[in-house]
Amino acid sequence: MTTLIEPPTSPVEAAPRKRVPAITGAGAQRALLVTARWVGAFAGALALFGILLMIKGANPLDAYAAMFRLAFGQQTSIDEIFIRMAPLVLGALAVAVPARAGLTNVGGEGQIIIGGVAACGATRLLGEDLPGGVLIIGMLLAAVLAGALWAGIAAALRLFAGVNEAISTLLLNFVALNVLLYLIYQSWRESPTGQPATAELVDGAKLPLLTASSRINVGIVIALVLTVLVAVVLTRTRWGFQVSVAGGNAEAARRAGLNVPKLVLSALMIGGALAGVAGMIIFAGTEYKLRDSFGYQIGYTAFLVCWLARQRPFPILLGAFLMATLSVAKDSLQLDSQIPGYAIYVLTALILMAVLGFTTPRKAKV
Amino acid sequence: MSLPVDVLAAGVAGGTSIMFAALGETIGERAGVINLGIEGSMLAGALGAYVVAVETGSPWTGVLVGGIAGAALAAVHAFLVVWRRANQMASGLTVLFLALGLTALFGVKYVGSGKKLDHAFDVWNVPVLHDLPVVGQILFEHNALVYLGFVTVPVVWFALFKTRIGLLVRTAGERAETLTVHGYSVPWLRTLAVTCGGFLAGIGGAYLSIGYANAWRENMIQGKGFIAVALVIFAVWSPVRVMAGAWLFGCALSLGSALQARGYEVNQFLLQALPFVLTLVVLTVIGRRTLSSSPAELKKVFENAETG
Repeated sequence: MTTLIEPPTSPVEAAPRKRVPAITGAGAQRALLVTARWVGAFAGALALFGILLMIKGANPLDAYAAMFRLAFGQQTSIDEIFIRMAPLVLGALAVAVPARAGLTNVGGEGQIIIGGVAACGATRLLGEDLPGGVLIIGMLLAAVLAGALWAGIAAALRLFAGVNEAISTLLLNFVALNVLLYLIYQSWRESPTGQPATAELVDGAKLPLLTASSRINVGIVIALVLTVLVAVVLTRTRWGFQVSVAGGNAEAARRAGLNVPKLVLSALMIGGALAGVAGMIIFAGTEYKLRDSFGYQIGYTAFLVCWLARQRPFPILLGAFLMATLSVAKDSLQLDSQIPGYAIYVLTALILMAVLGFTTPRKAKV
Repeated sequence: MSLPVDVLAAGVAGGTSIMFAALGETIGERAGVINLGIEGSMLAGALGAYVVAVETGSPWTGVLVGGIAGAALAAVHAFLVVWRRANQMASGLTVLFLALGLTALFGVKYVGSGKKLDHAFDVWNVPVLHDLPVVGQILFEHNALVYLGFVTVPVVWFALFKTRIGLLVRTAGERAETLTVHGYSVPWLRTLAVTCGGFLAGIGGAYLSIGYANAWRENMIQGKGFIAVALVIFAVWSPVRVMAGAWLFGCALSLGSALQARGYEVNQFLLQALPFVLTLVVLTVIGRRTLSSSPAELKKVFENAETG
């Protein structure tokens, strides 16, 4: 049974992983079917949302054209898509890594906030006189640590008290939000009369831009690098293999001598660390201040990105790109079609419903 | 009123929305389905009830429509998880996003519209009972929806534990295969349970908009649906404990304003976080026990997050 720990030769190795079938003969046919399902799902979602727009008195074709133009028509909005994509990628990875261990991390929202708070705290602690590079590294380390520890609370509660992590991470989101509100309204508030926010980050510590002409910061690079890293760690390392064994069948993993509690703890904490980095990128890359809307809905959106991508690292990039595009395009709804911007959540939800409900041939037994 | 009575009375009033939602969630979870979309059902219920109450002038019609709106969203969740076997957490959050979008779309002209309902649900003191010392002030000086909540608890308990359909629903959450053997449809029973749960959550939302805040605001539920989901677990899937837990949360929510009204310096954010911390603490204390007594089919959901 101890052979379970050795990655390549194990008999149960394939069990917890979902493999894409090879594209040959029947495989090709299946791939075509899968593609058709996905295309159908997206078309259905767009059509339904179009009908809704029509009910609200907007021409759906014009509305979609305007959304497309706004999202891809000018360099600034394309930049904006990549800027918003970075935290979504990291937030989705924060769901994907624990999911390998069979854990549901619904706490991205709170872990992102705590990451941002830690980044802000690090600059306050280190002082503004240090070189920008040192501050950025300080912020990053603080965010990683804080995100990991915040998720670690949920992991510890699961291990020592049997509290389900889906519930505890969800509840911790609201605790994190109130930590943020406390800081910006009270101890870290810049001025008692102005908007409730912290002082702006010094220029040197803001994340550098990719090129002088664009507004994209290095956040997207960090996200891409971490995506590759996560993919490699999950599929090519002993730890990644052990985690997926524990996630597939905890009992079998335990019998094979794996330290399941340690795997659970580490998977959830790594998830939290990734979300923490997302918070740091939002803070040092775009917001520069903590405000009451810091990271709003990004964690939940990222959770759905991860499900859209079926918890696989590289498809997460596509899912995050889609969600970021929708979030940029939502301003067009308001401007061009006089529809409240948040109505875009309907389209988001319809796409997800289509993907969750119709891209697999699964059906209930009646 | 003295501080404890004040806080308890406000707790009963404030906890009612959570109680409706948690009772609904209890029914769904008893059938083996966890629904984070309860938050969305409440949101839809809050808007639906407010719009109908404002437009028709009939608050009770509003409550009914709020319930139906909540049920409709829960039906979406039921369709995805029961009939298409989607992941329950992901589907629940999807339904929440659907509700956020739909209520933003249809509620925009009612935000801060200032259209107050004229005495929709006035406080009505229950004769005789409200004269009881202490208890009278805490329990019997509320509006009709709070009393409806009192009645709903035994009704849900009776329906779940004393009727045939209740037994079938609970069996769908404990030993689904038994039902299949005897020719019952587990998917339909679960759909029924989740949709009924959504109806109650919708009434919980309706209570917030037309029975408590007397207004509609975007995203006005603010996590109360999530509290309801957690509450069901720490109430060990029992309607009566759900009621007690909901009042406890109501008290935690109302403690801040009650203290501030008396001139105490309190940290508002600490108090806002209190219900969530409290839930975590309670779950920690009774965690293992609740886990072992959870409906068996629900345990499967918790243990294997990777379906879908």
